[in-house]
Amino acid sequence: MTIKSRPIYAPFKLDVTGRVHLVVTNLAEAPVEVEEAVGDVLVWTVKTVAPGVPAPAARNLRPFRSVAELLPQLAVRLAQATVGLRIYAVGSEAFIWDAYNVAMGAGLDGAEVFTHHAGPFVRRVYCTHCRTMIEDVAVTIIPCPVCGAHLFVRDHFSRRLAAFMGVIVDAEVPGEIPAAEALIS
Amino acid sequence: MRLVLGKIDVLGPSIRRFTLSPVSGVLPVAGAGAHVVLEIPGPGRVWKNAYSIVSTPSSASYEIIVRRVEHSRGGSAWLHDHARVGDVLEVQAPQNLFPPSRTSRRHLLLSAGIGITPFLSYLHVPGLSFEWHHCGKAEDAAAFAALLPETVTLHTGRNTLNLAALLAAQKLDTHLSLCGPESFMDFALAAAEHAGWPGQKIHKESFGGATGGAPFIVHLRRSGQSIHVGAEESLLDAMEAAGLVPPCLCRGGACGECKLPVLEGVVEHHDHYLSSSERAANDAIMTCVSRARTTEITLDF
Repeated sequence: MTIKSRPIYAPFKLDVTGRVHLVVTNLAEAPVEVEEAVGDVLVWTVKTVAPGVPAPAARNLRPFRSVAELLPQLAVRLAQATVGLRIYAVGSEAFIWDAYNVAMGAGLDGAEVFTHHAGPFVRRVYCTHCRTMIEDVAVTIIPCPVCGAHLFVRDHFSRRLAAFMGVIVDAEVPGEIPAAEALIS
Repeated sequence: MRLVLGKIDVLGPSIRRFTLSPVSGVLPVAGAGAHVVLEIPGPGRVWKNAYSIVSTPSSASYEIIVRRVEHSRGGSAWLHDHARVGDVLEVQAPQNLFPPSRTSRRHLLLSAGIGITPFLSYLHVPGLSFEWHHCGKAEDAAAFAALLPETVTLHTGRNTLNLAALLAAQKLDTHLSLCGPESFMDFALAAAEHAGWPGQKIHKESFGGATGGAPFIVHLRRSGQSIHVGAEESLLDAMEAAGLVPPCLCRGGACGECKLPVLEGVVEHHDHYLSSSERAANDAIMTCVSRARTTEITLDF
């Protein structure tokens, strides 16, 4: 069954109306279709060669130590950039919407930002009770590591939070927690 | 509503400001970018022309600025040559198809000629961060300079504005708004596209409406009428003159309200609403400004 609130991701394709293209990914390497893209494409990745040591930069390639380093640098870059830039966020669903939101915050329009999912469909879950974000969830029921609530992972995706909603599963009969199942998508 | 001409100011050789006040009661508030449609009497027919409101939204009257168009179809010529203080005109309630984009942090405003008018109302918006370049003929320089604050750059010579460089230098949080004659708009839009502006960040308002052209015959399939459209009248005007009430709003090819399906014939598009692929499809016409390229055209109306 499709999830209405979950975006459908198109395959990577360069928007030829742009003048400068920047691909940001939380992966170590950009997917092969990015490598094959015709035109001048800048690629930002997350790749280290030792703890805290980013992989060497090359022409058009800039590896970061972490997503936590990459996203603020994206905001800096966007604040300096001029019109004609296109952003392509490639990678996990949580990352691409975080990057999308950074771009929106910098004043870009939806037509200037493209999201492409790559890798497994694990979910970032938002605990609606204590507002904790839980990364890389692959099952339908999880305990919140902060407030302890057993959360049912709803098929409800928020682009603003880049997360699925997690709501308490045993509110009516405390302690009655169904068995967790694997998330199929 | 019926409004009385309260004041006429001569701003330039062919530019006048008209103040329209209510005969009784209070005017509807018109926000930045709004326009009114005036019904202007002419020989044998009524001209319906849209003019931007340049007065503040809280003003008790509407102010419009009108250029006397060379080869005027009637509207602006009547206002310049025949209108007198105290005349009462039928005016349709204001519409706003060109409000400033409230979500944008910065605005680049580009105008030419009498396209200055919608942006004059933007000056009343508190806190609007904008860079405005206005292009005009040298003969209008004094009139435009008197209307514009010092922060606006007025270009009256040829090639004093490098549009390509200006458009390419804008930050990503900037919104582009354009108003001017068709040739200016086409040039600016092409420059913006070349600089990589996405269409969603561009707003435009054209004016001047229909320019006239070769006469043709329109067949209206559902109404069962065939109407001759003269060289100096628009398709919309001809349909209205025949007693029909086709949809319309801005009368300037901007809003899309008057779009009608085309069944036969080839369209000569003059609007700023349809995309290039929609134009190429030749299955819709904006009756307020577009005409037929063929001697006859059949519409589903």
